[in-house]
Amino acid sequence: MQAILTARRGRRGARLAAVLAALLMLAACSAGSTGGAPADKDKLVVALTGEPVNLDFTTTAGAAIPQAMMANVYEGLVTLDQTGAIRPLLATKWETSNANKSYTFTLVEGATFSNGAAFDAEDVKFSIERVKSAAWLNGLKSKMDDVQDVVVNSPNSVTVNLARPSQAWLYSMTTLVGAMFDPSGVDDLANNPVGTGPYKLASWARGESINLEARPDYWGAAPGIKDVSLRYFADAIATTNALSSGDVDVIYNMQAPELLSSFESNPAYQVIEGTSNGEVILSMNNKAKPFNDKRVRQAVLYAIDRKAVRDTAWNGLGTLVGGPVPPTDPYYEDLNDRYPFDPAKARELLKEVGVQDLKITFTVPTRPYATAVSEIVQSQLRDVGIDAKIASAEFPAVWLDTVFTRHDYQMSVILAVEARDLLTMFNNPNYYIGYDNSKIKDEAAAADASDEATYVEGMKNVVRTIVEDAPVDTLFIFPNISVAKAGITGLGANSVTEALNLAPIAWS
Amino acid sequence: MLVRIAGNLARFVLSLLAATLAVFALMRVLPGDPAAIAAGENATPEVVAGLARQFGTDRPLPVQYWDWFSGLWRGDFGISYVTRTDISPLVADKVQVSLILVTLAMALALAIAVPAGTIAAVRHHKPSGAVISAASQLGIAIPGFLLGIVLVSFFALRLGWLPANGWVAPGVDFAGFASRLVLPVIALAGVQSAILVRYVRSAVLEVMHEDYLRTARAKGLSPLGALVRHGLRNAAIPVLTVTSVQFSALIIGAVVIERVFVIPGLGSMLLSAVANRDLLTVQSVVMVLVALTLVVNLLVDVLYTIVDPRIRAAAQGAR
Amino acid sequence: MKNARPTPALLAGAAIVALIAAAALLSFVYTPFDPLQVNAPARLQSPSLQHWLGTDNLGRDLLSRILVGARITLLVGVVSVGIAVLIGTPVGIWAGMKRGAVEEITMRGADILLAFPALLLAIMFAAIYGASTVSAMAAIGLASVPGFARVARAGTLQVMNAEYVLAARAAAQRPVRIAARHVLPNITGMLLIQCSVTFALAVLAEAALSFLGLGTPPPVPSWGRMLQESQQYWGSFPAMAIWPGLAIALAVMGFNLLGDGLRDRLDPKLGRGKA
Repeated sequence: MQAILTARRGRRGARLAAVLAALLMLAACSAGSTGGAPADKDKLVVALTGEPVNLDFTTTAGAAIPQAMMANVYEGLVTLDQTGAIRPLLATKWETSNANKSYTFTLVEGATFSNGAAFDAEDVKFSIERVKSAAWLNGLKSKMDDVQDVVVNSPNSVTVNLARPSQAWLYSMTTLVGAMFDPSGVDDLANNPVGTGPYKLASWARGESINLEARPDYWGAAPGIKDVSLRYFADAIATTNALSSGDVDVIYNMQAPELLSSFESNPAYQVIEGTSNGEVILSMNNKAKPFNDKRVRQAVLYAIDRKAVRDTAWNGLGTLVGGPVPPTDPYYEDLNDRYPFDPAKARELLKEVGVQDLKITFTVPTRPYATAVSEIVQSQLRDVGIDAKIASAEFPAVWLDTVFTRHDYQMSVILAVEARDLLTMFNNPNYYIGYDNSKIKDEAAAADASDEATYVEGMKNVVRTIVEDAPVDTLFIFPNISVAKAGITGLGANSVTEALNLAPIAWS
Repeated sequence: MLVRIAGNLARFVLSLLAATLAVFALMRVLPGDPAAIAAGENATPEVVAGLARQFGTDRPLPVQYWDWFSGLWRGDFGISYVTRTDISPLVADKVQVSLILVTLAMALALAIAVPAGTIAAVRHHKPSGAVISAASQLGIAIPGFLLGIVLVSFFALRLGWLPANGWVAPGVDFAGFASRLVLPVIALAGVQSAILVRYVRSAVLEVMHEDYLRTARAKGLSPLGALVRHGLRNAAIPVLTVTSVQFSALIIGAVVIERVFVIPGLGSMLLSAVANRDLLTVQSVVMVLVALTLVVNLLVDVLYTIVDPRIRAAAQGAR
Repeated sequence: MKNARPTPALLAGAAIVALIAAAALLSFVYTPFDPLQVNAPARLQSPSLQHWLGTDNLGRDLLSRILVGARITLLVGVVSVGIAVLIGTPVGIWAGMKRGAVEEITMRGADILLAFPALLLAIMFAAIYGASTVSAMAAIGLASVPGFARVARAGTLQVMNAEYVLAARAAAQRPVRIAARHVLPNITGMLLIQCSVTFALAVLAEAALSFLGLGTPPPVPSWGRMLQESQQYWGSFPAMAIWPGLAIALAVMGFNLLGDGLRDRLDPKLGRGKA
C-alpha cells in the first residue's frame, strides 16, 4: 500500500515538473523582451515615466509620443537650441518675403527617410498639407491654420505662403506639426514611424521599452550611441530604484525630487537640473462664481506663498516666475513682485467683495506634482478663509472630460507643458480657463504680425495685462531634472522642445 | 458521472456567456469618450467625431458587442483603437508573464505552507506550533506591496544583491530573468504562504482525528509518521481547493506587486489600459482574467466529480 | 458552549479592535494637531514630545493623521462588510430555503461574481466613478457578497433539517417568518466570523487600492494613502512609512484574531484554527 502511494506521488511530482517546465519554455519564446543591463558604450537605457499608447502623434495627443519620436525619428525644417532660439535642421536657411507672409526654405542635400526614400521639397509640401487635411486628428493641427499654400520651387527649395504675417508660425514648425513625413511612409504611423532622424524604431516591447537604433545612412553627424532603449516605468520611485541597481543609465524628467539627495552625494551619478516649458498653473474658472470676480482671483494670488509651495511640494526645485511664461521664451520677464505673499491683503480683498467663508471645490488631477501642490494650496487658502474641498480627478481621462472639455470646475491645478502656450491659454475665451481676451486680442495679433523686436515687446505687454487680471496663479516653472551615470555627456539640461534629443548623448 | 461532467461544462459555458455580457456592460458605463481622449486638448468636435467613426464607438452598442463577442471564440480580441495594434498577441505575451510569476509564487508558498502547516497542526499544543500560527497571523496582516518595498530597499538598494525591478525574457538572458524574479516571487509568496498555512493546519487537524490515523498511531507510529504515511493525501483535497481559488485571485492580486517591481504582466496591462481608456483592451484583459478563474473552477469541479462527489460537497464549504 | 472562557485570540483581537475604534472615536473630539494643517518649516520631524510620532513631508502631525486614519479604516470595513452582509445573507438564506433552480441560479451568480476579485472590481469602479473611498467600499463590498451568500446558504441548509424548523414548516409558517425566527439566529455566529474575516480583507484591499492611487483621495489621511505618500521617504525618513504600516498590520491582525476567537467560541468542533 505504502509503495503504491509513494509511486503515485512520484509520478504526480514528475507531471507537475513537466507542466512547469513547459510553462517556462513557453515563456522563453516571447514573454517580454527587454535586454539586460548594458555595459558597452554603444548602448544606453533611459528611464521615463508614462509610456506612449502608440507612436502616431498625428492622431493621438499626449507628451509621451513626441518625447520619444521628435528629434530622434522625425525631424522638422527648423528646431530649437537649448536656449530656445530657432536653428536650422532639414532647412539650411530660410528667407521671408511678401511682407513676412512667405517663408522660402532651402533644404539640406542628401537627407533620406528610414525607408530609403530621399527627402525633398515635395515631402515638405506633402507633410504641411497633410497637417491641414483630415488625416491629422491631433488638436495641435490648428497651428497650421495660417498656411495658405505650399509651393515647390525646386527639389531643394520650397515656399510656404501664410494668410497673414506670423512670428509664431515659424516657431510652430519646430514642434511636432512641423515633422517631415514621406508619402509612402504614413500607412502605419502608430507602429511603424518613418522619418529622416538619426534613429529608427528597432522594436517596441509594449509595457516595457521602445528600442531605437542609429541609422547608418543618416544625413547628419552620427549620433553618439548606437542602441538606445527608452524604458517606461509606472512611477518615479521605480526609476530611481532601477538606476541604483544599474539597470538604467539615465532618468530623464524625473518626477520625485525628494529622491535626488542620495544621487547628489554619490560621485557615480550626476544630477542635471534644467528648466522646461511646463508651467504649474493654479487655474480658476474665470466664467463661474466665485472666480468670475477679478478681486477674488487676486485674493487667491495674494494668499498663496508660491515659494513655500515649491519648496514643500517639489523640494525647492523649479523657477518662480510670477507669470505664465517660462524663462526660455523670448517675451519672458520676472513678475514675482506683482502678487507678493500677503494674506492680510487677500482677506481684505475678499471682505471688499463681500464673500466670507468661501467654499469652493478644488479639482486635482491624479499626478504627483498636483497632489503635492494641492494639499499646501488648500492649507494656505484656509488661512484666508477660503475652504477648498479637494476632489481628485483621474488624469487624463476624467480631468480632460470634466475640467477641460465641460469646464465643470472652480479651481484646478495642472502642468501646462505645451511650448509657447500663452495665447492658447488666454487668447481664447472658450478655453477652459475662460479668460476674457478682449483686452489682449488686438495687441497679440499686432505683435505676431510685426518684426521680432516689436513682437517681443508687444507680447510682454500682453503678459502684463494678463497677470494684472489674475486669471491663473503660475505657481512655478516645472524643473527638468535628469539623473545620469557619471560617464554620460551631451544630455540637454533644459526641456525647451517636446523631444528628448538623444543624438548628442554619448559615453565619455 | 458523464452527465455530471456535461452539466459542469454547460454551467461553465453559461457563466462565460454571462461574464462577457457583464464585462461589456460595465465597460460602456466608463465616463470619458475614448475618441475625445485620443484627440486630446484643443480638439475640435469634428476631430473627435472623426476618431469616433474610426474607432467604431459611434455604432450601436449591440453591434459593438457582437463584433467583440464573435471574435472572442476565435481568440481574436480585435485591434485596439488606442494602440492601433492587435490585442491578442499582446495579451498572450502578458498572460505568460503573469502565469510565470503566479505559478512560481504559488509553488514557493506551498513549499513553505505545507510543511509549516503540518508541523503547526501536529504540534498545536507545543510552542513551535504556536510560533508558526503566530507568524502566519503576522504574515496575513502585512500588505504584499509593503513586503515588496521592504525587500527592494533591503536586498536591492542596501545590499545590492539583486536588481530592484524590471523584467527580462528568459530566452534573452536567463540569469537576468531569474534574478529579477526572486524578490517579486518572495513578496507574493510571503503573504500567500501565510494564508495557506492556516488552511493546511486546519486540514491536517481535521485528518488527525479520523479513525484510520488513530488506528495507525495505535499500531505504534509517531503522530507525524502516521500523518505522512496515511493522512496527507486526504488533507491535500481541501488544500488543493484553496490553492485553485487563491491561484486565480493571485493573478489579479499580483497587479500591486507588478507595479512595485515594474513587471509587464496582465495587471500592469490592465492598469495602463484603464488609464488610457482603451476599452477594448480593458474588456479583453478582464475577460481573460475572469475566464482563467472560471476554467480553474471548472477543473476543480470536474476533478471532484471524478474523484468523489461526496468530497465536492464537503470541499465547497472550504472555499 | 463548552468552553465559556474566552481564548487568548479572542481577547487579543477584541482588544485591538477596541483600540482602533477608540482611536477613531477620539479623533472626532480630539487630535493633538489639525491633521490637515500643512506646516512647511516643521516637515519630516522625528518623534518628539510635541509630535509623538513625528511629522510628514508637509509638516503634518503623524499621530493626528493616524488617529483620523482609523476612522477611514473602520468606515471602509463597516460599509463594505455591511454591503456584503445585506446582499449576501438574504440571497444565501433564500437559496438555502428554496433549493432547486433558485439555489442553482443564485449560487452560479455568486460563482461568476467570485471571478471578479475585489481588486479587479475596484479598478473598474475607480475607472467608472473615479477613485474614491465610496468606489473602493462598493467594490470590496460587492466582491465579498459571494462569501456571505455561501456561508448563509451552508448554514441554512444545516438549520432547515433541524426539528424546530421542520415543525415550523409543518405549521405552515411563512418563509420570511421562518427565516427571521429560526434560520437567522442560528447562523449569526457563522456570519459574525465571516464579518470579521471580511473586515480584515477590506482593510488590506483599501491599502492596496490607495497604494495604486485608486483608493481614498487626498487630503484624507487613510493609512493606505499615508503609506503611498511615504514612498519617496523610505530611505531618508522611514517613520512616515512605519506608523501607517504598523497600523494596517495591527488592524488586520486584530480582526483576524477576533474571527478566530469567535470561531473557537461559537463552534468548538471547527475551532482548530480553520481560516
